[in-house]
Amino acid sequence: MNAGPTGSDRAAPTRPDGALARLALALERPRVLGALMLAPAVLYVVAFVAVPFFIAIALSMSDATVGDPQIDTFVGLDNFIAVVSQSGFRLALRNSLLITTLTVLILLVLATTAVELLARDFRGKRLVQVLFMIPWAMPVSLSAITWLWVLDSQYSPIDWVLVQIGLLGPGGTFGPSWNLFYLGREGLAIASIVLVDVWRTLPLATIIVLAGRLSIPRERLEQAQLDGAGFFRILFRIIIPALAPVLTVAILFTALLVIGEMSTIALLTRGGPGHSTQILPFWAYLKGINSGDLGQGAAIALFLFPVLLAAAIVALRFAYRAGRD
Amino acid sequence: MLYHSIRDRLLVLRGASLGLGAAFVLVLAPTTALAQNEPPDPEFRTSYGEMTFPEQFPDGTAISLTQWSHFVPRYDEWFQEYAQQWGEAHNVEVTVNMINLADLTSTLSASIAAEEGATVFEMVAPPTAFIDGLQSLADVNQAAAEAFGERSGTCERSSYLPATDTWYGFCHGWVPDPGDYRRSLWDDAGFPEGPVTYQDLLEGGAKIFEDNGLPVAVGMSPEIDSEFYARALIWSYGGSIQDEDGNVTFDSPEVLEAVRFQKELFENAMTPEVFSWNAASNNQTFIGGRASYIQNSISFYRSAQESAPEIAADTGFRPGLQGPGGEVKMPSHVWFIDVIPSYVTDPDELAAAKKFMLDLENNYASASYYSKFYNFPAFPSRSEQLFAEDGWLSDDPWGAEPPDKLGLLRTAEEWTAWLGYPGYANPAISEVYESHLLSSMMADVARGEKTPEEAIADTNAEIEEIFAKWRDRGMIGSGGD
Amino acid sequence: MAILTTRALKKHYGRIIAVDGVDMETRDGELLAVLGPSGSGKTTLMRLVAGLEEPSAGELFIDGRSIVGVPPRSRNIAMVFQNYALYPNMTVRDNILFPLRARKMPPDEQRRQLDWVAGILEITDLLDRRPTRLSGGQSQRVALARAMVRTPDLFLFDEPLSSLDAQIRSQARGELRELHDRTGITTLYVTHDQTEALGLADRIMVMEKGTVHQIGTPQQLYYDPADTFVAGFIGDPPMNLLPLDGRIIGVRPEHFHLAAEAPGEEIALELDIEVEHLEFLGAEWLIYGVVRRGVTEQRRPPRVIGRLRQAAVPTLSTGETHHFVVTRRDACFFDPETGQRLSQAKVAVA
Repeated sequence: MNAGPTGSDRAAPTRPDGALARLALALERPRVLGALMLAPAVLYVVAFVAVPFFIAIALSMSDATVGDPQIDTFVGLDNFIAVVSQSGFRLALRNSLLITTLTVLILLVLATTAVELLARDFRGKRLVQVLFMIPWAMPVSLSAITWLWVLDSQYSPIDWVLVQIGLLGPGGTFGPSWNLFYLGREGLAIASIVLVDVWRTLPLATIIVLAGRLSIPRERLEQAQLDGAGFFRILFRIIIPALAPVLTVAILFTALLVIGEMSTIALLTRGGPGHSTQILPFWAYLKGINSGDLGQGAAIALFLFPVLLAAAIVALRFAYRAGRD
Repeated sequence: MLYHSIRDRLLVLRGASLGLGAAFVLVLAPTTALAQNEPPDPEFRTSYGEMTFPEQFPDGTAISLTQWSHFVPRYDEWFQEYAQQWGEAHNVEVTVNMINLADLTSTLSASIAAEEGATVFEMVAPPTAFIDGLQSLADVNQAAAEAFGERSGTCERSSYLPATDTWYGFCHGWVPDPGDYRRSLWDDAGFPEGPVTYQDLLEGGAKIFEDNGLPVAVGMSPEIDSEFYARALIWSYGGSIQDEDGNVTFDSPEVLEAVRFQKELFENAMTPEVFSWNAASNNQTFIGGRASYIQNSISFYRSAQESAPEIAADTGFRPGLQGPGGEVKMPSHVWFIDVIPSYVTDPDELAAAKKFMLDLENNYASASYYSKFYNFPAFPSRSEQLFAEDGWLSDDPWGAEPPDKLGLLRTAEEWTAWLGYPGYANPAISEVYESHLLSSMMADVARGEKTPEEAIADTNAEIEEIFAKWRDRGMIGSGGD
Repeated sequence: MAILTTRALKKHYGRIIAVDGVDMETRDGELLAVLGPSGSGKTTLMRLVAGLEEPSAGELFIDGRSIVGVPPRSRNIAMVFQNYALYPNMTVRDNILFPLRARKMPPDEQRRQLDWVAGILEITDLLDRRPTRLSGGQSQRVALARAMVRTPDLFLFDEPLSSLDAQIRSQARGELRELHDRTGITTLYVTHDQTEALGLADRIMVMEKGTVHQIGTPQQLYYDPADTFVAGFIGDPPMNLLPLDGRIIGVRPEHFHLAAEAPGEEIALELDIEVEHLEFLGAEWLIYGVVRRGVTEQRRPPRVIGRLRQAAVPTLSTGETHHFVVTRRDACFFDPETGQRLSQAKVAVA
C-alpha cells in the first residue's frame, strides 16, 4: 500500500492490490476454486476415457487396419456382422460371460467369508492381512510363472499330490494318466482361469466388502447376538443385507475387471484348447492387432459395451438406493 | 584421437591395397588371427547393385532398430557389437531395442498409429496387414538381388505382395524347421533313422507311447509351433490354404486326410497336454526327456547342449516327414523381415537404414555363425561356409555330436515352404495364422468336438470370409504378375 | 425374574483396568441404576453381564448359576443400546420378531407376543415401517418392544434416554418406570445422569474407576453418602466438603441456615460466608460464597454453595459476610485420608 500514493487507493483499503492478491481473492470464490480443482479430473477423463472410447466406436465402424489406421471409410455395422460369424468370437462371448459370472459368484462367497475373518480380532491378524493382499501387489508376470507351474501339464504339484494319495495315475479315481492336463481340457481350463481370476481379484473384492463390513455398527451385531441369533442368522439376516450396497459395487468392479482383462488368458491358454477358452478382449487383440483388422478388433471389444453399461447403471442405482436407506 | 587417426590410416592403407573394382571395402575389426572356421570380418560396401551409399553419413544421422530378442542369446551379443561397429564406421548413431517377439506387432501398430517410432522393425512373420503403413523396399530388394544373386523362396514370398506389386519388407534371413526325434527311442521302436513318413510317426510314435509312455509332442494349441505343424502336415499331404493366385483351396480331400491322420495320431500317441502348450512347451518337454518327436528349429538343441547334454546327444533331426505322396514340406520357422514405416522421411536416416540392411546381408556368414546356424541367409551366396560340403553344417563348430548332426539342414531350402505356400503371404493368410484357425481346427477334431468334415467346412468358411474381406481391399490375388 | 450376582468381577484390556473387583447383587425385580462418570466401568460391567465381554477374573451368577462362558445368545438377557441398534433392513415387525424367530418360537405364539408387546408400547401402527422412518421416541419404544417380547430374565439398559430430546425425556422416564412395574423384570440401568438414576431407580450403584462406591436407595445415597466421592457426585449442586478439626464435614447446600433462623438443635458447624454471587432459581436461591471463618485454616479459603428458600434471601447481597450454622443431624463426617464415612448412617437401611 505504501507504493500507492494516491488518495483513492488509500480510500479503498479492502480492494486487492496486485495480480497475486486478486488471484487469491478469485480463488476464494467457490465457483472458481471448484472449477480449478475439477479441471485435472475432467481433463483426465476426456483424454484417457472419452477420446479413446469414441475413437474405438469410430474404428469399429471403419475399415481401418494397422497399416492404414485412418478412420476414413464408414462401413456401418459390417464389422459387427462379420465378427458374429466367427466361431472364435461366439466362444469368446460365451466364455467372457461364463468366466466373469463364475468368478464373481465365487468371489462373493470368498470375500464375504474372508471379511468375516478379517473383521474379528485374533493373533497374527496383521500377517493374515498382508498375505491376503499379496496377489494384488504381485507383478502379473511373477504370478503367471507360479500359476503356469501349478497348472503345468506335466510338473503340476497338484498332480503330484493327487498321485501321492492315489487318486491319479494307473488305478486312480481320476484315470490312468499321471496328469490331469489342467489347461488342456475345456472344463478344467475354464476352471483354472476362474481360479486365477478369483485369486487375482479377491484382494480388491475383500477390501471393498471389508470397508462395508467395518461400517456396520458393532451394537447391531451384539444386539443380534443377545437376541439369540447364531452365526448364520447374523450373517444372512444382518450382515449380508447391510453389505448389499458394497457387494453390488464389488460385483461391478470385479466383473468389469475380469471381463475386460486378457492377461490371464494370454498367459495361461491363449484361448485354447481350440477356441474353448477364448475371451472377447483376447480375440479382439488377435483380430485387431495381430491380424491387423483394427475395425473388427474394435467391434469385438465394444460388443458387450451396451450390456455392461446397462448393468453398471442398474447396479450403481441399486447401490445408491440401498446405501441411502 | 590417437585411436581414430591410427584407425583412419589403417583404413586408407587397406583402401589403397584393395581399391580395385566397384566395392570399397572397410575392415574394422582388429586383425587378430582368425580361426579357419570362423566367419570373415564384416565388410561394409558403398554400393549394392544400382544403389550407392556414402562412406560416412552427415553428422546427426541416427537410426533405431526394434527387433525381437533372439532365441540364441549369442546372436544378440554379436548383433549389438556389430551394430555399434557399423555405426562408428558410418558416423551413424545406431540404437537397438530388443523386445519380446510377442510384442512386435503391437509395437509396430502403435508406432504407425502415432507416426513415430523406430526406423526399422525386424518382424518375425510377414507383416502383411501393415503394408499400407510401410515404405516400399523395392530398391533394397532389387539391389540385394543384383549384388547377392539367388534368393531363397521362403524369403521372397514373405516380403513381396503380388496383388499390389509391393516389396513391403526386406527379409534378411529365415530359420529352417526340422523334425526332431529321440534316437534311442526310435531305434528301439524299429526306426533307426527316425520317422521318415507321417505313417512312421504314427506307428513308431504309438509303439513308443505304449512302451515308454512318452508321447509324440506336436502341438495343437493356439501358438506358432502348433500352427506350423498343422501346415507342415497339410502341405505334405498335398493340401493348402490357398493356391498360387490367392484362391482358397482349403476344403479338399488332401486336407481331410491330413486332419484324419492327426486325430489318429492324437488317439494313439499323444496326451491332452498339447492343447495347453505355449511356444516353449514342446522344447521343454523334449529337453525334459518326455517326448519322442517334436517339430522345431534348432534353438532348443543349442540350449539342450548346455542344459541336458544327454538329451542333446540322443537328438536326431529329420528334414520333415513325407506325406502319402512322398512329398515333404516344412514351414520356415520364423523370418527376419526388416520393414521401414512410412513415417520415416529423413533421407539420411532412410539411406542409412537401407545400407544397414544390405550390409547385414552382405555379412550374413557372421549372423549365421553367431546364431549357431539358427539364422539362414536370404541369399545363400552370403554364407557359403554354411552350406559348403565340409562347411559349418557338416562339421559343427558349436559342438554337435556327431559333428555332421545338422548336415541335413544343407538341403533345407528344398523342403521349406512359407506361410502362403504355394502362393505369397498376404493379409488373409496372416489373419488365418494369427487367429489360430488351423491349430484350433486340429484341436476340435482331436478332442472329438467336431468331425474332420465339420471342422474343415467350418474353418473353410471362416477362411473364405477372411479372404473375401482382404480381397475387397485389393490385397489378394496375383496382381500384375 | 432373576437375581444377578457378581463376585470379585474384574476386566482389564491390556494394562487398562475397566472393572476392578465388583461385588454386587440385585434384588429380584428391582430397577438398579448403575451411575458413574464416563470411564467409570459401568458400561463394561453391563457388557460383562450381557456376555459381550468375558471377565478377566471373578464370577457372574444369575439365580446362583454361573454364566461365565455362556454365550450371549444363551443367557436370556435383553439389552437396549444407547442408539437402539434397530435392524435397518427389517420392518418394525421383523425387528420385534427377530428374537422370537431366532428362538424358533411357533408362529402363532410369535404373533401373540407381538400383539401383546405392540399393545403395551402403543406401536401397533408402526409395525410396517422401516426404522429409518421412526422418530427418536418411536425408535426407543421399538427397541423396548424387541427387548421385552421374549420376556428375558434380565433387562440391561445402556443410557436408553440419552438420544432423546430433552422435552420427551422425562415423559419417557415415566413410561419406562411404568413398564418396569408392569413386567417386574430385574433391570440394570446404566446412566451418567443422576437425575435419571434418582428419579427412576429402586436402588443406585455408584461406580468410579472400576469400583463400586456405594449401593443404596436414592435417599441413602443423598443423605448418607458412603464416601466423599459419592457425596461430591450425587446432588446438584453436590455436597460441600470442608475440613474441620482433622475430619471432613459434608454439608448439603440446603442445610446451611442463617444463624438467625437456626433450628434449636445441636450445631455441628458455625461459619462465616462471604457472598460472592447469587443465583435465582425460582422457589429458591443458590448462594456462591467463600468461607471466611469456622473451618480449619487453609492457604486458600474453601468455597461453598448454599441453597436458601426465597424468603430468606432479600436480607443478603453480594460482598456481605454472614453467619451460617449447620445442625449435627444434617452433617456427615468423612476420614480425610480414605474419604470413608465416619459418622453413623442417618437413614435406616431399607
